[in-house]
Amino acid sequence: MSEITKKEVEHIAGLARIKLGEKEKEKMASELGAILGYIDKLKEVNTDGVEPIANITGMENVLRKDEPSEKPRRDVGAESVKLVEMAPEKKDNFVKVPAVFGE
Amino acid sequence: MNNTFHTIKSVNEGLKKGEFSVEEIAADYQARIKKENPKLNAYLSVFGSIPDSRFQILDSKLAGVPCAIKDNILIEGEKCTAASKILENYVAAYDAAVVGKLKAVGAVFLGKTNLDEFAMGATGEKSAFGPTLNPHDHTRVAGGSSAGSGAAVAADLAVYALGSDTGGSIRAPAAWCGVVGLKPTYGLVSRSGLIAMASSLDQIGPITKTVEDAAIILNAIAGHDPMDSTSVPTSRELPDYTANLNKPIAGLKVAVPKEFFGGGLDDQVNNLAQAAIAKLESLGAHIDQVSLPMIEHAIAVYYIIVPSEISANLSRFDGIRYGLSERNKTLLGVYLDSRARGFGNEVKRRIMLGTYALSAGYYDAYYLKAQKVRALIKQDFEKIFEKYDVIVGPTMPTVAPKLGELDDPLAGYLADIYTCPVNLAGLPAISIPCGFVDVDGPNGASKKLPVGFQIIAKHFNEVKLLQVAHNLEQVLRE
Repeated sequence: MSEITKKEVEHIAGLARIKLGEKEKEKMASELGAILGYIDKLKEVNTDGVEPIANITGMENVLRKDEPSEKPRRDVGAESVKLVEMAPEKKDNFVKVPAVFGE
Repeated sequence: MNNTFHTIKSVNEGLKKGEFSVEEIAADYQARIKKENPKLNAYLSVFGSIPDSRFQILDSKLAGVPCAIKDNILIEGEKCTAASKILENYVAAYDAAVVGKLKAVGAVFLGKTNLDEFAMGATGEKSAFGPTLNPHDHTRVAGGSSAGSGAAVAADLAVYALGSDTGGSIRAPAAWCGVVGLKPTYGLVSRSGLIAMASSLDQIGPITKTVEDAAIILNAIAGHDPMDSTSVPTSRELPDYTANLNKPIAGLKVAVPKEFFGGGLDDQVNNLAQAAIAKLESLGAHIDQVSLPMIEHAIAVYYIIVPSEISANLSRFDGIRYGLSERNKTLLGVYLDSRARGFGNEVKRRIMLGTYALSAGYYDAYYLKAQKVRALIKQDFEKIFEKYDVIVGPTMPTVAPKLGELDDPLAGYLADIYTCPVNLAGLPAISIPCGFVDVDGPNGASKKLPVGFQIIAKHFNEVKLLQVAHNLEQVLRE
């Protein structure tokens, strides 16, 4: 079983932007340790010279011409209004957020 | 449970003959849902309005046929929660591509079905709005993550349903509820409007009562969509997936991987799977035992790739753009508090695992390694498909477990042992019912629980997949 320390859990939770309670941290450390212990057996597999999968059906970058389409598939203007409406806080047709750099 | 289930075919015939109207059949299902859903919790939301009868004149097998949609697929103007508190009040701003396609052929939507939160689970118990119960035994799980879709079809609370399958989420509930579940080839059906879990694996597909119905739905939802850049461009016209259903399978080559019959497989499930293989042989198929040595690593690969993609995909749920938001003086505080309150334990666990796997210094050891072993798993399948038409085995290692039985995270993950390799390789697969086993029910009574049989085919070879499934389904019913 791999060991994950409480300090590591706190670091990952910070990166993942999830606040965890003290009990949650302990539980998470033991559960993640157990799962990583299972996953670690992959290290035994020889993958020398194997190309990692990028897309399973073999597609590469999918590009389109940077041109306005003649017939838009959807009314994106009306959609954007609906999307902003879903935001918990808004002003005019904008999403409102707290100051990024503090007071 | 009654056995006079409506199929797409029977509703279509009933409508054509005037035995009932679109309004009547929809009202009938709405009444059944009202009565049965409080017990099963298959639906998270039910639509009230009676559909427009103009659908009756449409020349489509799906016109006026009532269906259910998994609640991680968007229907414009309706709530789409992904069974998460963080999206509890989110209303979809547009239709998913598959929903648009079904609307165009006159489908009638009854409501949205329950799932494990963000489709993360094998049992259907991880919904923030309570588990879906198995219609065959209310002390057992329906199977996840498309739990509500499986239970709704099995209990005839919908003629058919759509689900999504990342590691078995269509096939598991189909197997444990005793219905048909089809996971198409990755890229055959557009994912536009499906709330993403693991984008390199997710695929939408039907849960139905018959193989023929699954083929009818695939005809309606398959095809390239410019809104999903991973949907595969189809240079020629797509095949009619119902065309070869009745074509005999004599001479077809069937591979049986020994890894699908290893430790952890329930004896009674094994017996029924062996009986189904014997039926294939009686239909003239040629059966061989084969080996897929790399799939022993599939669960480990899956639980690196999936959480990694989850940690990226779910970063958008930040308390700023959708639904649930905790007020805080700072932006960081809004993120931390909203995500802490909005996500359930399994979602948090997977985001944490994925964040760890992708964090500085670990990428090569986890994600890159997993994508390499994934390539080896795909090669294993490709080698078998050089010689064989289909690969078969049990869908799930056991019958539906009791509620709470798979609470340990790792135990829950191992339930996907036969299904998740298929997603890693991007292949199409179907689960069809292959019989029932007797288990002890409450008060000493015995219960019959369904078992699913999985058939896997080459990329984009759904025609052959459905042909084998339909042929087998007919002899299993005899």
